[in-house]
Amino acid sequence: MFDPIVNIILPVLLLVALPFFGGLLMGVDRKITAHMQSRIGPPILQPFYDIIKLWGKKPFITSRLQPVLAFGYLGFSLTAAAILVFKLDLLLLLFTVATADICLIAASFNSKSPYSYIGGMRELLSMLSYEPVMVLSIISIYFATGNFLVEGIFSIALPLLLLLPGVFVAMGFVLIVEMKKSPFDISASMHAHQEIVRGVFTEFSGYTMAMVEMGHWVKMMLILSILACFWVPNLLIGVGLALLLFFVSLVVDNVYPRFTWQRMLKTTWIFGFTLILANLAALFILGGI
Amino acid sequence: MFGELILATSVLLPLIMGVACLMLTGRGIRRVIIAIMATSLIASSLLLFYNGGFVYSPNYVVDMSALILDLCLAAYFLYVGFRIKNVLVIGLASLQFLLIAYFEYSATGVRVEPVLLVDNLSVFMSLIVNIVGSMICVYALSYMDEHEEILQLSKSRQPRFFFFLLLFLGAMNGLIYSNNILWLAFFWEVTTLCCYELIRHDGTKEAEKNAAVALWMNLIGVVALGFSLFVGYYATGSIVLNELLMAGAAPIILIIFALMALAAFSKSAQFPFHGWLLGAMVAPTPVSALLHASTMVNAGVYLILRIAPAIKDTPLTWVVALVGAFTFMLTAVLAIGQRISKRILAYSTVGNLGLIILCAGLNTPLAYSAALILLLFHAVSKGLLFMGAGVVENRLHSQNIESWEGLLGKFPLTAIIMIIGMISMFLPPFGMLLGKWAALEVIALSPPSIVFLLILFMVIGSAATTLFWGKWLGRLIILPIKETKLKAEKLHPPYLISLLSLLSLDLFISVGAAFFFSSLVNPTVGGGYSVQIGVSLFNINTTIGSFPVLLFWLAVLVIFIAGFAIAKSKGGVVKPPYLGGENVEGNPLAFRTIADSEVEFKLSVMSFDSISEDRLNRYALVGGTLLLALLFLVVIF
Repeated sequence: MFDPIVNIILPVLLLVALPFFGGLLMGVDRKITAHMQSRIGPPILQPFYDIIKLWGKKPFITSRLQPVLAFGYLGFSLTAAAILVFKLDLLLLLFTVATADICLIAASFNSKSPYSYIGGMRELLSMLSYEPVMVLSIISIYFATGNFLVEGIFSIALPLLLLLPGVFVAMGFVLIVEMKKSPFDISASMHAHQEIVRGVFTEFSGYTMAMVEMGHWVKMMLILSILACFWVPNLLIGVGLALLLFFVSLVVDNVYPRFTWQRMLKTTWIFGFTLILANLAALFILGGI
Repeated sequence: MFGELILATSVLLPLIMGVACLMLTGRGIRRVIIAIMATSLIASSLLLFYNGGFVYSPNYVVDMSALILDLCLAAYFLYVGFRIKNVLVIGLASLQFLLIAYFEYSATGVRVEPVLLVDNLSVFMSLIVNIVGSMICVYALSYMDEHEEILQLSKSRQPRFFFFLLLFLGAMNGLIYSNNILWLAFFWEVTTLCCYELIRHDGTKEAEKNAAVALWMNLIGVVALGFSLFVGYYATGSIVLNELLMAGAAPIILIIFALMALAAFSKSAQFPFHGWLLGAMVAPTPVSALLHASTMVNAGVYLILRIAPAIKDTPLTWVVALVGAFTFMLTAVLAIGQRISKRILAYSTVGNLGLIILCAGLNTPLAYSAALILLLFHAVSKGLLFMGAGVVENRLHSQNIESWEGLLGKFPLTAIIMIIGMISMFLPPFGMLLGKWAALEVIALSPPSIVFLLILFMVIGSAATTLFWGKWLGRLIILPIKETKLKAEKLHPPYLISLLSLLSLDLFISVGAAFFFSSLVNPTVGGGYSVQIGVSLFNINTTIGSFPVLLFWLAVLVIFIAGFAIAKSKGGVVKPPYLGGENVEGNPLAFRTIADSEVEFKLSVMSFDSISEDRLNRYALVGGTLLLALLFLVVIF
């Protein structure tokens, strides 16, 4: 059954393509957001130009460990992506994303700076608000597939979305948190429409910023990819669904102002938990399991 | 012969060496005694591991002495109760005294075989108790010197301290070998005694008060064990653990196990008994390390793991799981609001024991494995964390994590040890996370009636855990640009030996997790269950998931090497932080404010004052008590 093309080459290609698509989507994001705000916006490829520009800038850092930890953010995000494309354990994937997050937070604490310190604390609170929803979603996927491996999603006949619509929506909340979009952008906004000093990103510049930026693309793509898996029989439909949620999060971003962290926590937990538990209860009663 | 050797080195020798500590009070000779003790304890546990378990019954006189000793201890507790004028202690101790006295009167000549039964679970526990425990004793050599220097004692009280420390380890070893409930109860009482004496070691008012709390809470467990002995003898005719475990799940047998579970909860500081462990932090730090990592609380978990196979598929097991899950969730939330380092560690211990008990209560082969991994890794990591926290406390003269700011710049070695210890508690690929991963997969397999509740407890608890560790980690890692060049830090040899050995042990068992699974965890699970965890060179596989431990470590290695390489090649000028452009020349930590006056900014830890500790503790007490009531209700009805 071991086919090198399907099991090795394809995943590696996907892994390489993931950050690229992430950058592209960021460009699309900026274009669409600009149009919503009656601006023209930058070219679609602007995120890539930014990275090239940032990488070539004269390096300034605010502490010696900062670049290492910034790379840790990118590195662990890519590790999580590898876990996804090689169809490994979903829980492990989540823990790896958390490790990436902790690297970012540690980097922001590491440079003794008031703005990035508060940003780091708030990034921790963001984790608090999305992590339980994400774990619940993964356990729900287990209930539907009987497996914690990504592989399991590909082994069931029905599209996941039909079994777990509530979970799909709940993961939309996670997406908004992960994309750092309003109203859940307490630690830092991806676009500067709410702030000038950028919270957890404050002390990054040049190449460290470039690494953090790319890490962010990968993380966003991770959630979108899992969402795409909700329609496995035809992944194109899945991708369409994920992009739909992506678009919704852009609209939400432009409609809502930023929440306080307490309100953010309540919103993600109450909506996330209710949606997922109701979904699971229905699944149990209808005998899906 | 083998059995006698192990018993002599791991139970009797600590007692003898403890007495030696009392007699030979010199500082140098104490170091020699502890060195010998640590070596022989570790050697005996490794020997036990390689040779496997044994059964042993002492001769009649020794066997019968258990009753007398039980009685003496109960009398001593009674005396303590009168001395500290504590009604609860007096009541519980006299109850225990009456129970044992009546038992002695009516059940003369009760003899069971075998008295001691050392199986794989005992061997597993013995490794944890002796290896981690020995390192803590070594650590205590330096710590107590510093401690008494700070307190400026005229006469050293260390002989007494080390006597109880060693006695504790000996009693713990006896406890995990015991098969006769009488002996189990005896060693259980000895650990309670050592715990009490060590908590009140400093003799302050607070120490006496908290020690009294620890005593009466643990006496509840002692009395519960006494009752289980009673029920066992008069209702079933057996006071041997291995017979009771195979007796089938008749209601009367289940009552015995419910009593034992109650005893275990009190020892492991589960709700509603968690108060004593939090109070115990008034003791010198090695005591906390010992209580949390290698002895006291592990005794409770051990008893739960011991009875777990026998309560499989009974309602009892679900209540046990609920107690664990509830404790895990609420302590994690409680820990968020804490600022005292040892309090955070204490809540984390109670929570992690809850997690272990949850797994034991779920009672499937996979769950049992998860419980064992968590127990193993928690002991090593928590021992390391307490030891590190003690070093920091003696340096900063403060337990407040506010004062831990920038530890990385001040004491790099201790800080790095603490950081690795913290990471090992909540991030992959360290063992604790491996255990948590297994626990999450196990919970998903629990029956529909309680699965939602358990999952909710678990996810909220895990998320809160990440927050409080992350918050604390953030304090240490702050590195003001003045101090970016780390200077070497000097530690006393006993500190260095104990900290570095536990650190390398933590890394070693985490990297080699697959090996420890196949050689240590799976054989232990195999005693009562069919093993369901597959181990290959790279992967630890359950039936529903897989954790590529070695590959993950490889990724970590690559990421850090690449990270440092990039940092080296790109480098960069270190600049002061962003302060709205109001930076003060020459002082990167100050900014200009009104009328250009210079102010140094301070970073405080987020306090979460809205989380009221008192209110949550009330929930814990009420919830815990209700669950205890449920424990007996499900057995009776």
